[in-house]
Amino acid sequence: MISQIGSLALSISGGLILSNFFFLFYYSIRKDKIFLNVSERGLIAVCFCVILATLCLLNELLISNFNLQYVSQYTSYETPLFFKVTALWAGQAGSLLFWTFIMSLYSLIYINVTLKKMPTLKYSSYIILSFIFGFFLLLSNFIANPFQPVSSDIIVQNGNGLNPLLQNVTMAIHPPTLYLGFIGTTILFVMALAGLISKSLNFEWIQSIRRWSLIVWTFLSGGIILGGYWAYNELGWGGYWAWDPVENSSLMPWLILTAFIHSSMIQEKRGMLKSWNILLAASTFLLVILGTFITRSGIVSSVHSFTAENLGPLFLAFLSSLILFTGYWFVKRFDTLKSDNKIDSFTSREGGFLYNNLILLLMCFIVLWGTLFPIFSEAWNGEKIYVGATYFNQLNVPIGLVLLFLMGIGPLLSWKTTSRHTLLSNLKIPMLVSFFSGVIYSIFFGPFQLYPLVTCMGISFTTTSIINEFRKSYKKSKSNSKSIPSAIVSMLFSNRHKNGGYIVHIGITLLFVGFIGRAFEVEKEFNLSPGEEIYFANYIFKLNSIKSEARDNHYAFISDIDVIDQSNNLLTSLRPEKRIYFYWNPDPEKRQPHSELDIYSTMRKDIYSIFSAYDAEKNQGYFKIMINPLVNWVWVGGIVMVIGSLFAFWPSKRRDHGII
Amino acid sequence: MNKIYTSLILVFALIVMWTVYLTNIKNDDSLTVRYYTIEELSTKQVSIPNVKVGGLIKPNSININEKDQLEVSFYVYQGSDSLKVHYYGIRPDLFKDDAEVIVAGAFDDDLIVATELQTKCASRYEGDLKNIEKI
Repeated sequence: MISQIGSLALSISGGLILSNFFFLFYYSIRKDKIFLNVSERGLIAVCFCVILATLCLLNELLISNFNLQYVSQYTSYETPLFFKVTALWAGQAGSLLFWTFIMSLYSLIYINVTLKKMPTLKYSSYIILSFIFGFFLLLSNFIANPFQPVSSDIIVQNGNGLNPLLQNVTMAIHPPTLYLGFIGTTILFVMALAGLISKSLNFEWIQSIRRWSLIVWTFLSGGIILGGYWAYNELGWGGYWAWDPVENSSLMPWLILTAFIHSSMIQEKRGMLKSWNILLAASTFLLVILGTFITRSGIVSSVHSFTAENLGPLFLAFLSSLILFTGYWFVKRFDTLKSDNKIDSFTSREGGFLYNNLILLLMCFIVLWGTLFPIFSEAWNGEKIYVGATYFNQLNVPIGLVLLFLMGIGPLLSWKTTSRHTLLSNLKIPMLVSFFSGVIYSIFFGPFQLYPLVTCMGISFTTTSIINEFRKSYKKSKSNSKSIPSAIVSMLFSNRHKNGGYIVHIGITLLFVGFIGRAFEVEKEFNLSPGEEIYFANYIFKLNSIKSEARDNHYAFISDIDVIDQSNNLLTSLRPEKRIYFYWNPDPEKRQPHSELDIYSTMRKDIYSIFSAYDAEKNQGYFKIMINPLVNWVWVGGIVMVIGSLFAFWPSKRRDHGII
Repeated sequence: MNKIYTSLILVFALIVMWTVYLTNIKNDDSLTVRYYTIEELSTKQVSIPNVKVGGLIKPNSININEKDQLEVSFYVYQGSDSLKVHYYGIRPDLFKDDAEVIVAGAFDDDLIVATELQTKCASRYEGDLKNIEKI
């Protein structure tokens, strides 16, 4: 019954979208407000229908209605309640509905908050929103319907169950967070195009789209970092980023959105770069759709496989129509996009943002080129050629380092122009600190490796420069307030936009600290029987025992390894496990082995252990140990980034100053 | 002012060209690897230092060395063509009959000595229905 309601809600929302186009068409002819209002109600109704459908699917998952194909594919009676909820986005049909669900939530806020303030955007926003909704509802209704019943001649006694790899709390948060980021770009696209079409790219518009971009950026950053965290803690290859096409698909919109956040500041303050900003805002969404196309078409081979029904051609058609639409209006409205001001000097804040944009764009190009290269090369000479991590690192690492230094120079530049003298005197301290940190690094952490050394110098350069900025504004606020804490608070809150940005930058420098560690990773694979030990990377690894245990939804072999350091002290005991999920299944093919890692984690280094196989006859375990320095800094950096952008986003009482 | 614009554009263009050079023209095995279909490779009699192949693991072809469980050989197939693969190292959890794998390594005389073995990460779990009974 509930599933019928859900299915009906999906159909109704599809019908409503169709009728919405008629109302909008009538409005364009008759200019009668009533049609616009009706289409607004129509869109709101669509949103609620989608939300209802999602709740219905959730209900079916929770009560294990295996008459639905989707429910039986991704859950079983044994699936814990929490993961029955996460099964909502575990498969193609569910994730598409979930996509539309989040889009509905965003749209409701956009329609009821943003458009209330900017009614001129309504008409074009409704057209674009209806088109995008139309596409996703088409998929959910006709191509990948989550309410599809199992074929009538079979009875499902128990479902498939959720993949054990996905039965992890991070994996439960990562997809929705990333989705919130991805789908948020829809609003940026709608706003950019609606502003362009209705010629209302005013100050209010830029302020509003900036706020939206900050929310989206926060979710996108959080989602990407969580994905890395999950991969690191669950997948057992000891890394968090592999330049896989699917990962790249999430990085590209992030890079462009980051560029937008910076360049839109120039528009906010100086009324420049309007056309550029429109392109950036629209591109983030286009890149999200491109990424979805890449991941769901199987056109590029990736270790992440999503392809069940081939949605590739549909997404390609959708993407092409969006690009054509954007291109058409961009050309048509190009004359309204003239700058109010000109760049006075390249040693200015706007100049700095320009370099920043250039670099981020380059990085995005490099990632895009590398990701799509198999397609290009195949079209070129019929050979499908892949580029590996070496390509991405060789190009992106040096460019990323330039960006790291630029983050330290940027805050020292003022709007319009900065005299060379002021800039140099401001740069003195950061440069000195950077130099000495380089010297200290070379003395204590030799042998010489270029990138870690430069990264270390860049980190200290940028951090010093930002702390120096904080110190300056602290001095200012201290003259106004009495106690130190109140001075700090008033300093932080005096300009949240700017300070939030600085906090994000500090988060990014922390990420770079983590990246240095990658240059010093070591690993070893070996086998041990209980009682045996092995020496590796200045530690002794001693296997005490391997026990076995039947648990709720799996069977586990549990190892117990003592890690003894150089001074013969017991550092920790690692207990990586080899688990067999679905072990009760008589068919061995259906059983699912899974290596549960154990990581001894400190800020200095992680000792990462994998129990890869167990030989019962010889009572011997096969293990892999990795020493990964500084990994924790990546997660800390990620948290600081998110905190910083939330801080910048939080509404401040004082309205920001107008165009300079 | 124009000089700076021009030089910025030049830098951009140079890096773009460098990217294209690295991937397309420079023949560097550490940067690029060509993806072959199993059919293509199974008819070749040459040795290629760097290949990437995707396919399914032939059922009952997994042969694990009893003395060293890290050593394994198996066949990957695609349609009617298949190739023998040799691999030493830790295998992914999803490594089993009919699993979809991507192997990378050297190809010589009908054998791939793989340095990389990846099963498709089950970001999604699209299995067949089990525990079903036909009425």
